[in-house]
Amino acid sequence: MSTVREDRLMKRVFLSPAVILLLALSIFPLVWSLGISFTDMQRGGSTVARQAAAEGITEGVGFLGLGFELTGRNYERLLGDGRLHSTVRNTMIYVFFGVMIQYVFGLGLATVLNQPFRGRNLARVIFLMPMMMTPVAAAYTGRMFFDSNPLRSPLAHFLREVSKALGSERGITVPWFTDTGWAPIAILIIDAWQWIPFMTLILLAGMQAIPDDIYEAARVDGAGVLQIFWRITVPILLPISMTVILIRGLEIFKIIDVVVVTTGGGPGSATESLTLYIFEQALSNGNYGYASAIAYVLLILVIIFATIFLALGRRWIRGAGSGVE
Amino acid sequence: MQQAKRTWFRRSSRRPLWQSALLYAIVIFWCFIVLFPFYWLATTSVKRPIDVSRGPNYIPYVDFQPIPDHWEEMFGSQRKSTERHFRNSLVSAIGSTLLSVIIGAMAGYGLSRFRYYWGRLGWDNDNIAFWIISQRFLPPAIFIVPFVLLYNFFGLVDTYAGLIIAYTMFNVPFAVWIMRDFFNGLPVDLEESARVDGATRWQAFIRIVLPLSAPGLVAVAIFSFIFAWNEYLFALMLTNFNAITMPVLIAGQNNTRGIEWWFISALTLMAVVPVIIMGLLLERFITRGLTAGAVKG
Repeated sequence: MSTVREDRLMKRVFLSPAVILLLALSIFPLVWSLGISFTDMQRGGSTVARQAAAEGITEGVGFLGLGFELTGRNYERLLGDGRLHSTVRNTMIYVFFGVMIQYVFGLGLATVLNQPFRGRNLARVIFLMPMMMTPVAAAYTGRMFFDSNPLRSPLAHFLREVSKALGSERGITVPWFTDTGWAPIAILIIDAWQWIPFMTLILLAGMQAIPDDIYEAARVDGAGVLQIFWRITVPILLPISMTVILIRGLEIFKIIDVVVVTTGGGPGSATESLTLYIFEQALSNGNYGYASAIAYVLLILVIIFATIFLALGRRWIRGAGSGVE
Repeated sequence: MQQAKRTWFRRSSRRPLWQSALLYAIVIFWCFIVLFPFYWLATTSVKRPIDVSRGPNYIPYVDFQPIPDHWEEMFGSQRKSTERHFRNSLVSAIGSTLLSVIIGAMAGYGLSRFRYYWGRLGWDNDNIAFWIISQRFLPPAIFIVPFVLLYNFFGLVDTYAGLIIAYTMFNVPFAVWIMRDFFNGLPVDLEESARVDGATRWQAFIRIVLPLSAPGLVAVAIFSFIFAWNEYLFALMLTNFNAITMPVLIAGQNNTRGIEWWFISALTLMAVVPVIIMGLLLERFITRGLTAGAVKG
């Protein structure tokens, strides 16, 4: 009897810290910032509060005397904000192409690491190294490489020499960070360099969980290497692939550090990500209300992405069938 | 030598020569892609400014004369600043790692061993676990405004406590998820026999379950540490002088001193060291811990 009562208590003790932490620091801010997004709140007081202060009124200002007004203006403003639209587009580009590049390379490298060869353990450790670099540092490193001056950057030097050898007279220089077309590509490459290892790591773990007899049977039936890859490895890896793609996609939605360090969002707003724009609205401009409204746009995008992806994923997995999951 | 060669051939006997060649070509190429940036950082950190801007210089002693000045500067005239930021990063990363591991292990154990039912929401264990992990994927941008307001109100801006609380919040969902999976794979018999012998739930958890789940705990600890060590957005937002961490210091090099690539390279390498050490020592644990979470997920 006493153990039952003890268990009833312990059950709460074990789970409560995590739940309380998340309620206080995640759910509460989430709800609160939805509220803020409907106000004209700014750093150092809202517009109404400032007007009132200028007129010498101190008490009972704004909605319920709280010093701000309720308004839907932030959401109206979203529609006409060209900079916001370009940051949304940039973020979608980072997510879509980022995930694609990283998955393709991750799958390829995992396949390589899944083969027996000498030095495989060493190669595995080396392949993981970029993941360990602070993203800010990876971004600086990228900035050194994508410097378009061949006197400073080994990559620019290499491109110039190769293009010269191929017959170009002065050699090609790519204006990585100053051209609106190239700058997002440079950022995509930096992010890919850093995070391909993550894909590799998990896909490799997935591949190693595939029992050998399946391959053996396929080989006996005369299947070639490519056939085995497309007909066995890829379908079996589908569920885990969906998981990593979802994880990476959601992570790329948060991209800010690489952008800040390499281009600061420029040229113009060609590389600015949503998170960076929200950060600037909130901390540089102090527009708390508007920043919260944009943050909700980001949240909705993330939810749409995750939902569509999970729905598609479930269908694909069922389509690939064969009771793998 | 002969022996080694023979085993090599036997191991790859199923593989035609061209496949082996292709395999090694890819491996070597990718090792180059990964390692060359590290090499470039290392050499840049010992180059004179002129060698950085009038190059590119590849090989020390051949293309340029390496100098230790930037490292000396970092540990000499800049020593106080370097030490402070390094310590800030360490304290906030270790602090939040400890908290995340404790809170995560407790909640993971709870979700694995008890049956919960949140009547009002109609949620059982799986719903609760999903809710917890979903918090990890909320875009942090949504927390910017409320956190700035909260932290100003509670005086947490620019403090260790502030960073530790924020990072713990981000790490706990992942910790709960991995630990729950880990405990699910751990047989209940041992705990039960301990409880028959008179141990309480808590004693069984501390003395039997936790020691057995060392690999899972280590994996969680590594992930939490690396996340907190590398985090940029919240460190930038919630610190302004005393508690500035390495990533913010590195990113800020741009504004405060002009771009001194040699100094940034040295700082970067120093920031990488703790993570690489942990990663290399415990690579095995990472793989195991992750697969536990990912394969089933």
